[in-house]
Amino acid sequence: MPVVEKRSVFSGIPVSEAMRRQVISLPRSADLGQAIRLMIRQKASAVLLTDQGVPCGVVSKTDILGAFYAELPSETRLGDVMGSQPIACFPDDPVEDALEIMEAAGVHRLYITGANREEVIGTVAYAEIVGLLYRYCRACERGTTKKRMAISDIDPSARFTVKEVMTQNVWTCRDSDPLFTVIETLTAHNMGAVLIQDKAGASEGVISKTNLIIAYHHGVSPEAEARKVMSTPVHSVSDRALLSTAIQQMLTRDVQRLFVHRDSSDPHDISGVLALSDAARFRSGSCRACTAGRLLTR
Amino acid sequence: MLASDFMDTQFHVLHPQQTIAEAVAEFEKASASEKTKIFGMMVTDDDDQLVGMLSMYDILNFVQPKHVAIFGEMEDMDPAQIYRDRLNTIRSILVDDIMTTEVVTIQQDTHLMVIAEIMIKKHIRRLPVVEDQAVVGIVYVSEVFNQLMALFSSQKDV
Repeated sequence: MPVVEKRSVFSGIPVSEAMRRQVISLPRSADLGQAIRLMIRQKASAVLLTDQGVPCGVVSKTDILGAFYAELPSETRLGDVMGSQPIACFPDDPVEDALEIMEAAGVHRLYITGANREEVIGTVAYAEIVGLLYRYCRACERGTTKKRMAISDIDPSARFTVKEVMTQNVWTCRDSDPLFTVIETLTAHNMGAVLIQDKAGASEGVISKTNLIIAYHHGVSPEAEARKVMSTPVHSVSDRALLSTAIQQMLTRDVQRLFVHRDSSDPHDISGVLALSDAARFRSGSCRACTAGRLLTR
Repeated sequence: MLASDFMDTQFHVLHPQQTIAEAVAEFEKASASEKTKIFGMMVTDDDDQLVGMLSMYDILNFVQPKHVAIFGEMEDMDPAQIYRDRLNTIRSILVDDIMTTEVVTIQQDTHLMVIAEIMIKKHIRRLPVVEDQAVVGIVYVSEVFNQLMALFSSQKDV
């Protein structure tokens, strides 16, 4: 009986193709202030903690937000706020497996070890994996990023649009809400950013975990109003935009997500959110051709 | 020959609470006043104590999108537009957020050969000279080179 195997762009690609060799780490005895400075400086979402050189935990942006919420002083030891253990994979593991581990564990990055499990040689996160997808799609003759294909008569329905990949859950806070409320909203819904609206419900700005961590580092009180730390304007992408365009914007802006507005409507009329993890889940940087063309019958 | 013999005692400093935009303006001002390009400055607190260093490299590194290397081809991207977006995001960033805090320092009585050794081995172009935690001068790699070249020239004359 023939077995149909669905292959994706990532089939046969090992994690080593996407991994980043720089590992952001600190000893567990280091303090919160050091970790925040390192995260801002390196644009990192997490810091690996080590105990005498051996990995012993991870402090993520979510853990830092917890410390901000609890108003812990910046001298607090990282070992006291450490949230989870690092989840590791090998460099020759398939990217597909790495994605499944990330999705199942609800983490945004994996640490990569070699034969010595106590030595971390790199990391892989959604941004690197989606970056790799984007690179393959750019190189593809059928890719939507090829200029000559953009004007060709290729079936437009073959291309993924933002609307198909985005999630419709947009969480909002008022510009007058205290940062406490913003942190609660982000944490309760496991979101990376929240839309900030004014009294009339118009979208004014965005507060991401990064904005909050910078505010914490600058000594802003969690009782301060959201409008004090929100970033403006709201950069949004049309729901009819090509997925490849949105991925490019996320990667060049160093953001994990973009808000989405309805096509031909007010750009402030936000209807969804597109995250890098959504793009990774679809296993495509631009169009359906990859998935359709990779059905193998054995 | 010691650091005190050739260190620069006229130097420009930044403050941790200055924004990156203000720091860039200070770089331009310092370069104009010194009539040479200044690529890095010391950061001192209200008590004139050294708390870090900020170089143009630190700023460039922050502005540069993190995942550019993975794109491969980039011919259809407009760098001006991308950098404009990136620069917008650094409006709220302070010198304190991205400065290097692990700074190698020397003292006034540090020997020229020790200074040259530190600069070569650690790839450092400028070394703050600190006495009792306060900055008293700075030694640039160009001055170390000038000192060596002066010896070379005088030897040639003999």
